[in-house]
Amino acid sequence: MSETRTFGIVAEYGDVDSVMAAARRIRDAGYRRWDVHTPFPVHGMDDAMGVRPTILPWITLGAGLSGLGLSILLQWWTNAHDYAFLISGKPLFSLPANIPVAFESTILFAAVTTFLLVFVLNGLPRFYHPLFRMAKFKKATDDRFFVAIEARDEKFDPGATRKLLESTGAASVEICEEPLDGQVLPGWVKFVGVLGITLAMIPLVVAYRARNAKTDTPRLHLVGDMDFQPKYKTQAASPLFADGRAMRPQVDGTIARGELRENQHLELGTVDGNFADGFPVAVTRELMERGRNRFDIYCSVCHGYGGQGDGPVALRAKELGEGAFVAPTDLTDDYVKKQPAGQIYATIRNGIRTMPSYAAQIPVADRWAIVLYLRALQRHSDASIADVPLEKREEIK
Amino acid sequence: MKVSPENIIELSERPPRLGEQAPALGRRALVVGCLLLIAGLGLGFSGHHGLAHVLHAWLVGATFVLSIALGGLFFVILQHLTAAGWSVVLRRQAEMLASLIPWAAALFLPLVVVTLLGHAELYPWADHAWAAADPVVSKKIGYLNGIFFTIRMALYFVVWYELTRWFVRNSVAQDRDGDPQRTVRMRRSAAPGMLVFALTSTFFAFDALMSLDPHWFSTIFGVYFFAGCAVAVFSTLILGSLALERGPLQRIVTVEHYHDLGKWLFGMVFFWGYIAFSQYVLIWYADIPEETIWYKHRLHGGWQYVSALLLFGHLLVPFAGLLSRHVKRNRAALGFWAVYMLVLHLADLLWLVNPTIGGHGESEGMVFGLTDLLLWLGLAVTSFGVFILRAQNQPLIPARDPRLDESLGFENQ
Repeated sequence: MSETRTFGIVAEYGDVDSVMAAARRIRDAGYRRWDVHTPFPVHGMDDAMGVRPTILPWITLGAGLSGLGLSILLQWWTNAHDYAFLISGKPLFSLPANIPVAFESTILFAAVTTFLLVFVLNGLPRFYHPLFRMAKFKKATDDRFFVAIEARDEKFDPGATRKLLESTGAASVEICEEPLDGQVLPGWVKFVGVLGITLAMIPLVVAYRARNAKTDTPRLHLVGDMDFQPKYKTQAASPLFADGRAMRPQVDGTIARGELRENQHLELGTVDGNFADGFPVAVTRELMERGRNRFDIYCSVCHGYGGQGDGPVALRAKELGEGAFVAPTDLTDDYVKKQPAGQIYATIRNGIRTMPSYAAQIPVADRWAIVLYLRALQRHSDASIADVPLEKREEIK
Repeated sequence: MKVSPENIIELSERPPRLGEQAPALGRRALVVGCLLLIAGLGLGFSGHHGLAHVLHAWLVGATFVLSIALGGLFFVILQHLTAAGWSVVLRRQAEMLASLIPWAAALFLPLVVVTLLGHAELYPWADHAWAAADPVVSKKIGYLNGIFFTIRMALYFVVWYELTRWFVRNSVAQDRDGDPQRTVRMRRSAAPGMLVFALTSTFFAFDALMSLDPHWFSTIFGVYFFAGCAVAVFSTLILGSLALERGPLQRIVTVEHYHDLGKWLFGMVFFWGYIAFSQYVLIWYADIPEETIWYKHRLHGGWQYVSALLLFGHLLVPFAGLLSRHVKRNRAALGFWAVYMLVLHLADLLWLVNPTIGGHGESEGMVFGLTDLLLWLGLAVTSFGVFILRAQNQPLIPARDPRLDESLGFENQ
């Protein structure tokens, strides 16, 4: 048996009325660290004990309001600010659409906070209490009522406190001892905890392995809707149509939107079968800026920002020593400079050698914008000091 | 009240009743109410919108009275359904409110007769020629016609009357014989009773309120009407308890009962908002003209202020006001919110009904005035008189209910 110290004095009562009366007297005597233990909830005990109202409702309110504010902020940030996305023609930030999420978040924040705080404010989880050492205390879950005044209360005095409890008509008054040591977590609890956490990992590992390892049996499909989407892929068969094709051919006598190619110069870059020189659209500064923007997005990865065939893809291929790699053309080379604008346009539209067609990614107007920007790059590649405005010449000398 | 066997015996032998001055009060209310109605009718018929305005204002006032009575029926059925103990001392008040249903039927009678005679001032579909020519309404003629409408209205009121009679008769009989088997029988009939109540009140809302604009439809409309009934009845029960606590129910109704009534009122205020928004957000999102027109009428021509009043006054403000338990346990504060919610409930009914003055589901803007106030007040005051005259015949609590002691000693944790 190890060393012990006094935890407090415990009084036992046989009925509700006497424990209520005792609670009132202890409250009036000014004790703070004490508690009543009853087998069932006793109406009015809070008052009799002088328990102050809990702050929990205020924290719940605060958590609910945080949920409200954060969810509105989240919806504004994601849908109206960071990635503006138009849905059903509604305003980007529009309260009616946000209210369901805000409502649920308010409840979620308030409920989860309340749930967790009830544990925290009650000091749970608690595995051990000194009162459990008393054999009699087991009756607190059956038919007896207990009042325990703790020794760490400022007003606690072994003699006087005992006398107070005896004077309240207690059936018995006892001192409860608690051991000084031995309050550490037993080794087997730690072991079970670690084992439990380890075992809990197994399903995750199995699922992860099943989705990544090579196997000749079909994979586990955890998210079936993701793996088997109800859609037809390109060239797939469909029983829906008489000809069995999922892809539908163009209906005879119709032209798809944006595919009416009336202006050959504009659409194909040719006039009477030859590549056209000059632009079919108005040449403006805005068009060139648009061209720069598109060129930097689509072309520069291979051709480089300056158009000299030194984009990151080309540099990487060179670094790896890829012998079969066809280096991108230096667009500032003389033979490209001599090409008519229509020919460059046609190259973007149709592709050339290993360069694929960019018709799918780049619409007609943007192709011409790129051609225009390319002309500016070519002009820039053989510029002389005479091209620089007089007042800027000093800066670059 | 401190519950002891002596108290219970005392209560069951001499249950509290209304005081001797009650009949005089009831008669006076009837006289004042009738004078108000005469003034309202006179003003209404001489006004610009004449019969149309009178019928709409009458519909609002009658629906207001009916919503409290239906709310009382709902409360009674719910207490039996859940075998609730806390509410026993309040149940007789709700039973007496539900007993207003035959009176409410009398209030609806003129509206039904006018519609049956083919006057389309209230329900545009009553105009056969117009209904047959309208591409949408012509498809609904099988349902929206005077005869079927009359049959349905009669059916609703008969069903409600029978439900009320079953629960009130058993409850009052128990006052005399104290047979606990009556409580069991009422609990068993509560579940089917609730189902019947839900269906009839839903279809009543469709017929009496939604068909004012026969093009428009909303499947949640019945629940919206029910939410208003619940708000109205809990407000009324709070006010009734406050009035009776000064006399016969002293120390029988306690702060704990107000706390629970306050919780109910708070919950139903928010439930109303939840349902109102559910109806709005779907229509707003789908943005289909045949649905949005209903809100368009209520967001123009002056009605937008009533819409805003409902959003803030019927939902957000009372939500904040009733949130705290201290408010629910404070008689003066809770009494204020009960009166306030009854006024806002009237505003809600006004907002449902009056925008359709103008005929054939079209809105003529803000038609509202002294006619409405006089008629509402007249209907409410006469109904109050009828309520008092009927209530004086019964004890004010079900004095031999087996759960009476539980209700008397009830405490919120």
